[in-house]
Amino acid sequence: MTSYILRRLGIGLLTLLLITCLIYGLLRAMPGSPISADQANVNPSKQISERALNQYKRLYGLDKPWYEAYGTWLGNLVQGDMGRSFKQNNRTVASLILEKLPATLALSVSSLLLTYLLSIPIGLWSTAHDGQPTERVVSVLLYMLYSLPAFVAALYLQLLFYVKLGWLPLYGLTSDDFERMSVFGKAWDLLWHATLPIVCFTYGTLAYYSRFVRANMQEVVRQDYIRTAKAKGVGPRRILWHHAFRNTLIPMVTLLGLTLPTLFSGAVILERIFVWPGIGNLFFESIRFHDYNVVMGLTLMFSVMTLAGQLLADVLYAVVDPRITYS
Amino acid sequence: MTTAVATLNPPKSPGFWSEAWVRFRRHRLSTLALAYVTLLAVVAITAPAIVGTKPIICKFQGSIYFPALGYYNAGWENPVFRTAGVYPDYARELKNVDPDSWAVYPLVFQDPYHRIRKDERPGHPGNPWGVEGGPSLRNFFGTTNIGFDVFAQMVHGTQIAMSVGFVSMGIAAAIGIFVGALAGYFGGWTDMLLSRLIEVVMCIPTLVLILVLVAFLDNVTNWHLMAVIGCVRWTSIARLVRAEFIKLKEMEFVTAARAVGASPGRIMFRHMLRNALAPVLVPVSFGIASAILIEASLSFLGFGASPPNPSWGSLLQAGQNDIENMWWLIVFPGLAIFLTVLAFNLIGEGLQEATDPRLRQDSH
Repeated sequence: MTSYILRRLGIGLLTLLLITCLIYGLLRAMPGSPISADQANVNPSKQISERALNQYKRLYGLDKPWYEAYGTWLGNLVQGDMGRSFKQNNRTVASLILEKLPATLALSVSSLLLTYLLSIPIGLWSTAHDGQPTERVVSVLLYMLYSLPAFVAALYLQLLFYVKLGWLPLYGLTSDDFERMSVFGKAWDLLWHATLPIVCFTYGTLAYYSRFVRANMQEVVRQDYIRTAKAKGVGPRRILWHHAFRNTLIPMVTLLGLTLPTLFSGAVILERIFVWPGIGNLFFESIRFHDYNVVMGLTLMFSVMTLAGQLLADVLYAVVDPRITYS
Repeated sequence: MTTAVATLNPPKSPGFWSEAWVRFRRHRLSTLALAYVTLLAVVAITAPAIVGTKPIICKFQGSIYFPALGYYNAGWENPVFRTAGVYPDYARELKNVDPDSWAVYPLVFQDPYHRIRKDERPGHPGNPWGVEGGPSLRNFFGTTNIGFDVFAQMVHGTQIAMSVGFVSMGIAAAIGIFVGALAGYFGGWTDMLLSRLIEVVMCIPTLVLILVLVAFLDNVTNWHLMAVIGCVRWTSIARLVRAEFIKLKEMEFVTAARAVGASPGRIMFRHMLRNALAPVLVPVSFGIASAILIEASLSFLGFGASPPNPSWGSLLQAGQNDIENMWWLIVFPGLAIFLTVLAFNLIGEGLQEATDPRLRQDSH
């Protein structure tokens, strides 16, 4: 097992190297640079002189060819330095990411909890009521939810709850008078603003997980030991929960590993729609303004999370199911 | 004697695809989805005949022309109309220039690329715009804030959605099948390298790659988007083909083909591929759904094709900017995107059940 993990880690590092190299090359080959993207926005009178431009380029390594700059970036990374942002007041990339992470985590963690809390009961319920008309309706509805794109849902919900009913805010993290609120008021205000984003984050995975639980349960309830349990007189509830559901937990574990990257990456479109100051928004802005170091830092984080999630899923798989061995 | 021979001839057993078709038909929702997609394809192909301001067919100065073809490609519109001063006001100028001319117009007289002005078709009012442009009998789905007809844009946008879906997945399937087949058939180092490649492409966030690639281009067209989406979304197909090929290469018919001296290319793409094709259709169908979704999201974020681009996503973007007043810019395009994605997902689901050999025993 240890050698397997070590080998996977080695391959993972190699993959990371390839990904970062590829993205770095692509970014530097992109037409325009952080400086030109800046100049396009400011008025001509504010244009910087030739000398200042060259100085600026040297400072950020833009005068060197991309592979040299990539080497420098890599060297700094090994020393724990992800570089500085060109745009956001020369701040370090790490501090930028750390600043935006809480808003994204608040959405993704609460959405993940909601998903697990709701999908298991729904999945169990539909197994117990398999084939009944209400179950069929619920199953079709879940399938439709699963196919409903999140940004369409977000716009529909905004139309309904903001324009039509006026119950929920259109976007943002807090109200304007947030500073003057009491502690309870602040919490309420945050929840009030987070409701629509959380719903949009949750419903798709909720539908997917519920169908996943149901599909696994249907495979398990056909097993012989379920028939045996039924034959010896175990009640239907106990069979479902005690005998069947436990054995569907193994595939659930893999799913947990695969959700790891989505936990941190946020969703660019949803964060744009709800003007949510999270990772997705940061990512979008930094690509638009050619903020190389920030894009690289975020890409690195996404890739590490994806690879770690896959490894975690495989390792947990072997831990939960003793029949699986890696040799 | 002859009758005996005839009865001895067993009836032709149904082939794999006809059997799969029967099983697919049993899935009622998937069949409905297939009908919907067929309808969309027909709408996409005949869009200029459904909505437009250019005649489908007209007689002008003694010759027959098809100006509506100009919607497919500007070069297919005969330059004679420009020189005669008829273009772009066919409805008004055609009769003025040549009183003997006649023309058959599309079913709905609206245009995705300009606002219908007053008397553009003699006796008809112009399109309202902004808050005034709600759905009406003249503008089924309302108008945009500059008076373009939403229904016209959506019908012509069907072309974009369908072509993006099919072309990009065609590219993805070609790359995925090729890479997966090589990795699965040769194994060893080839497999090792190609698997790393698949992993790298999978790990890169799709949106980064697309946004970066799109940033290269000054004038983004939908063809660029198709190429980029195709080059990014082939990994799941490649993994599936690889797994199928690893399984298939142990079969007797492959050994037999090798024994008679067939080349690896011939074995892979002539003998093995057709046995691996059915499972590939499932991720392709889901892939079409996701490609349509990616195009809509990119247009929505403002990273889609350069204007004029009557894509469903761009309409949604316009709707988001005016969410407090113009609900019709959100409801109708959103519904179109949702239904299309749902339909392709349902078809994928139906295909999965129809072609999965594990489920085949049940149907006999």
